[in-house]
Amino acid sequence: MLRFIAARVLRIVPILAGVVTIVFLIFQLVPGDPAVLMAGPMATEEQIAALRHAVGLDQPVYLQYWHHLAGLFTGNFGYSLTYKGSPLGEILARLPATLALAATAISLTVFLGIPAGILAALNRDRAADYAISFSVVALLAMPNFWLGLVLISVFSVDLGWLPSFGFEGWRSVIMPALALAARLIALVARLTRGVMIEELRKDYVRTARAKGLPFRTVVLRHVLRNALIPTMTVIGLQIGYLLGGSIVIERLFAWPGIGDLLINAVGLRDYNLIEAITVLFTVCFLLINLLVDILYIAVNPRLRHA
Amino acid sequence: MRELDGMLSRRTVLIAGAAAVASSNLHLAEAARADNSLIYAQSVPVTHLGPDYGAFLRYPAGYEVGYVLFDRLVGFDDSLKIHPALAERWEVAPDGKSTTFFLRRNALFHDGTPVSAAAVKFNIDRMLDPKRNTTNQPIWSPIAGADALDDWTVRIRTKEPYALLLNTLAHGSGAIVSPAAIEKNGDDSMALHPVGAGPYMLESFNPGQEVVLKAFASYWDGRPKLDKIVFRYVPEPSTRIAALKTGSVDLIDAVPAHLVESIKQDTALEVLTKPGLRPMGLAMLTTRPPFDDVRVRRALNHAIPVATIAEKVFFGYAHASDSPLAFNTSGHKSVGSYAYDAKRASSLLAEAGFARGADGTLARNGQPFVMRLLASDGLFPGDLQTAEIAARSFEALGIKVTLNKIEAAAYWDYLRVPEANVAWDLAIFGFNPSNGAGSYHLDALFHSNPPGSDKPAAWNIVRYSNSEVDRLIDEAKTTVDPAKYDELLGKAQEIIWNDAPYVWLQVNDIISGARKEVRDLRVWPIVFTIVRDAHY
Repeated sequence: MLRFIAARVLRIVPILAGVVTIVFLIFQLVPGDPAVLMAGPMATEEQIAALRHAVGLDQPVYLQYWHHLAGLFTGNFGYSLTYKGSPLGEILARLPATLALAATAISLTVFLGIPAGILAALNRDRAADYAISFSVVALLAMPNFWLGLVLISVFSVDLGWLPSFGFEGWRSVIMPALALAARLIALVARLTRGVMIEELRKDYVRTARAKGLPFRTVVLRHVLRNALIPTMTVIGLQIGYLLGGSIVIERLFAWPGIGDLLINAVGLRDYNLIEAITVLFTVCFLLINLLVDILYIAVNPRLRHA
Repeated sequence: MRELDGMLSRRTVLIAGAAAVASSNLHLAEAARADNSLIYAQSVPVTHLGPDYGAFLRYPAGYEVGYVLFDRLVGFDDSLKIHPALAERWEVAPDGKSTTFFLRRNALFHDGTPVSAAAVKFNIDRMLDPKRNTTNQPIWSPIAGADALDDWTVRIRTKEPYALLLNTLAHGSGAIVSPAAIEKNGDDSMALHPVGAGPYMLESFNPGQEVVLKAFASYWDGRPKLDKIVFRYVPEPSTRIAALKTGSVDLIDAVPAHLVESIKQDTALEVLTKPGLRPMGLAMLTTRPPFDDVRVRRALNHAIPVATIAEKVFFGYAHASDSPLAFNTSGHKSVGSYAYDAKRASSLLAEAGFARGADGTLARNGQPFVMRLLASDGLFPGDLQTAEIAARSFEALGIKVTLNKIEAAAYWDYLRVPEANVAWDLAIFGFNPSNGAGSYHLDALFHSNPPGSDKPAAWNIVRYSNSEVDRLIDEAKTTVDPAKYDELLGKAQEIIWNDAPYVWLQVNDIISGARKEVRDLRVWPIVFTIVRDAHY
């Protein structure tokens, strides 16, 4: 197990190098000069040149690439034009907000999606199943931006129950997390339902019931564990979606997180900030996938000796 | 519910939960007024609060905070007229090359130090340094220096008589900061720890998210009426409007024209508008045929239904231009209008030698009339829609139009380029003179580019060159007599308007929304919503 983990962690480094390379190539191809954007309409050539120098854009391309690559190891992501300093400070300051949003979204997925899937499976082809399946399709069809607007309109403007923007206490996280997680909840519910129906058909369930075990015990102790395996994998794989979707949701709810930081940085072509965030997202994505794989092996004894 | 036997029934749990949330209902509307504070949701984040180095990033949010935190020697009013501020009065020397300012004696900085002549000189010297004042150098460079004649008198010298000296001093970059604070905290400390002499002082600053100001009790004009002003960053217009409706904020800016109705329908809210300073237009490369022919340029001006665009695309929150300058720019004169008249357009094109072929396309000497129209996407209000309407209008005349849409951040790369590399015939563009001055605007856009220069010196991307206009602008820049200034600029506007280097479009309104209880909010044409004097 330890060797497995070590191998995966070591793989992160070349993957990050690849990500930095791709991002660097994109920067070279995309039009828009950060120095011009930062300097404003009345800037002189000298002022623009000074800003380019501050970000290192006046150096030859291969040298810039080398600095970006080396920065991975030294943690030096250069100079952010919008925050006038290292991009890391601002990113770390905003990390808690994005983590809170992501954690809440995942919790909602687990605590709403899985029970919904179980309920649908246990009441298969009856009213509850139809209602849940219909909701699943509806949630999958809704763009999360639109859902967010509707939530604000209903729960903030009309009912006044929840704040419409910002991060001020636990009430602020409900709507953004719901809007972000809606799609995931639907996916997980659908998946759980399908897997549970599969499992319920299997022989060991019939054996357990024949033994006299109450149905509730059979479901919770035996069936659920098998059903959760693919569900966990899907949730882990969807983390990437959460990171991306957070950009739209954070902007809508003025959530002080990294997604909003990223979209502003792109608009201003703050390359060093964009790259730092991309590296961070990549590391998170890789680590979470590793975690899911470890959990997967831990939960499923059949894999331990593979 | 077999599964939940022995536990609370599901229904009970749900009802109890809803009750808990509803009972702790957010009475934010009352809270904002109970502590006598104003909360302003801005569309752009504030990352820098000093007049130097980064200068109030980002525009306009940082400037709006700056106008509350700092005082200047003189100030603007709603129509950008000048009135006294830290200076009680001033005298212009007979040769026009210096102005003496008499400071009021009771003005203090937030750290308690007095706003003396020495402090003012310290500030002027700093802003004259191009390394410190990177963004706003062009409006400061005509100033030569400042001298403290005694404790309360400052003389500011200019290289030539400078018509816009007062505009520059009233500009955001004219903010007077505390020299003592700079000594103590460092030369670039104003960015995060501003210390000024304005009615409100800094309580806390979270760059990119929130600025909290509190009342400065020792302000020279008396304690301000609010206890606190909070500036918060809310990027999405729909969210800003929702927050205004729930009362969690009292004021919002940058209301899109198509969403104004939803604010008007709410009786607790009101809409504040003001025509802005940025006349939009389609810049034409006047050195490239057939756009070098003034008849062609005038024809294109007659081809666009500008008034209808103002009505339909901007819901009436825009007005057709009547001058190369916006209505509120100093020196503006209403010089004409190009009525929407397709027949007139066609006859002007015919005069220029164009005729419609069998397939309807215009041609001259066997050359079809082809146009590349460049439009930004989201950089200016309604830019894409306006460009599309323009393209259709030109096509109706028989012109073959290629419309290229460019993402906002990349658009600037296409404008100030060497003439050989200009990839457009017409490009949508609008210039916003940050000090509200007509001479500044005309100089940037229509003064001839220096001979032999590759790229435009400022924003003369149309390559306009008229020696009479140059003379009028140069003279206006050094005229300190307001009447003469207006006269010179008026003549220049007439010539430029008739030469039509642009297809003149509209001036958009700046739209803000506020709760009705808030009084004395101001909207300035330079895209600023001013909360200095606000109260309930």
